Amino acid sequence: MNITLKVWRQKNASEAGALVEYTVSGVVPEMSFLEMLDTLNEQLVAKGQDPVAFDSDCREGICGMCDLMIDGQAHGPDKGATTCQLHMRRYKDGAVVTVEPFRAKAFPVVKDLCVDRSAFDRIQQAGGFVSINTGNAVDGNAILIPHDKAEKAMDAAACIGCGACVAACPNASAMLFVAAKVSQYALLPQGQPEREKRVLAMRDAMDNEGFGHCTNEYECEAACPKEIKVSNIARLNREYLRATLVTE
Amino acid sequence: MEAKANSASKCSCRVFEFLESSIGKKIMVAAAGLLLCGFLITHLLGNLLMFVGGDAFNKYAEALEHNPLLPIAEIGLVALFVVHIILAYRATYLNRAARPEGYQVYKGKGARTPGSRTMAITGTLVLAFVIIHVATFKYDVGGFKGMAGEEGLFAHVLGWFANPWYAAFYVLAVGGVGLHLSHGVQSAIQTFGLNHPRYTPLIKKAGLAFAGLIFLGFASFPVYFGFIKNCMSCAGGAH
Repeated sequence: MNITLKVWRQKNASEAGALVEYTVSGVVPEMSFLEMLDTLNEQLVAKGQDPVAFDSDCREGICGMCDLMIDGQAHGPDKGATTCQLHMRRYKDGAVVTVEPFRAKAFPVVKDLCVDRSAFDRIQQAGGFVSINTGNAVDGNAILIPHDKAEKAMDAAACIGCGACVAACPNASAMLFVAAKVSQYALLPQGQPEREKRVLAMRDAMDNEGFGHCTNEYECEAACPKEIKVSNIARLNREYLRATLVTE
Repeated sequence: MEAKANSASKCSCRVFEFLESSIGKKIMVAAAGLLLCGFLITHLLGNLLMFVGGDAFNKYAEALEHNPLLPIAEIGLVALFVVHIILAYRATYLNRAARPEGYQVYKGKGARTPGSRTMAITGTLVLAFVIIHVATFKYDVGGFKGMAGEEGLFAHVLGWFANPWYAAFYVLAVGGVGLHLSHGVQSAIQTFGLNHPRYTPLIKKAGLAFAGLIFLGFASFPVYFGFIKNCMSCAGGAH
């Protein structure tokens, strides 16, 4: 089948970009969205044109690299899926699809569809860790953790840092990402020693990167390929309030 | 002494940091918003006395006006409005700045509600309404007092509602309040960090119901006293 793509082309961070229309031929329903873009690039290279730059790595939905805004939806129309898990069987022959980079001041475009998401790394470095010496693997039940807390912490830890929450948020807020990272430690005993320090530092780093405010639109939860819940944002809010009050 | 001064400046610094932080701003906006909801409830209950009768309403208004604590309550109310409005506008401004280049196509995945999409618009509408409302009803801009021949606030209110444009604007504005609350109530509770798998769906429904009741309650005054009663008296006059 043939797919008409309107792709954001931008030479580099400083030059202005625009949507450019391409028709990709020979697309089959079994292809992933990224394989369809690979096909486009092969066709562009064959014509001697500059291929479209886009990010991808594992192509099995666990690395969080393939960040595309497809027809105004982060990672495309599917629920709980990354761009690489979106397949062309979702589209009909002759479909017109708009592909744009994730947009936020904190995610500057590097080229075409690639954005710089190192802002997430800097937030993570500010407090998204435990600095205890873990040593060897401890006995299974040496530290008792209630099952529901372990499950909630695991759900939060499913965040792959793709940035879809920021891309989908009308305010370009990174609250769901930070909430997931704060929650995964706040729920577990291993995260307690730095509980207050962590949330204060990560909130500070988040705001310094220029992300917007959360206004509880919940588009982040709807867009998250790992289906991280906004209840984590509520936890982040109370963790921040608590840390502000109790920290000396 | 030095240590004391140090901790005091640290404390004020902490307060400033909290207010400047994205989460702190939200919490303040939410707290002020919920307290303003409390004001809406008392205001609505007071206004409902209009249905009991003009005398009851006038007596209530006079008792309120002569209460020595009124200026303190008014200062508190103005402070709530100022905190809510300034921090919300500042957050909105920063949110716009957080995405300098927008999307060509932006669809989302259906989580937004009509209320959540229009918070800045309905907020601005309500602000404009509050200014006009206070100017006309409290400070008598446009001068109706005593004109109807009947003394007291009730006559004054009826005088304004007799103007269909004013009555229609009143309905539109309280519609804005309702839409604002349809998102605001549950949003404020989430901002305080209250989210529970069992109670959150209930809170969302209660927030919607509250928004609906506030809208219907306040809209009933211009609709009844402005339109229905005037029409009835028109019809009565024709007979």
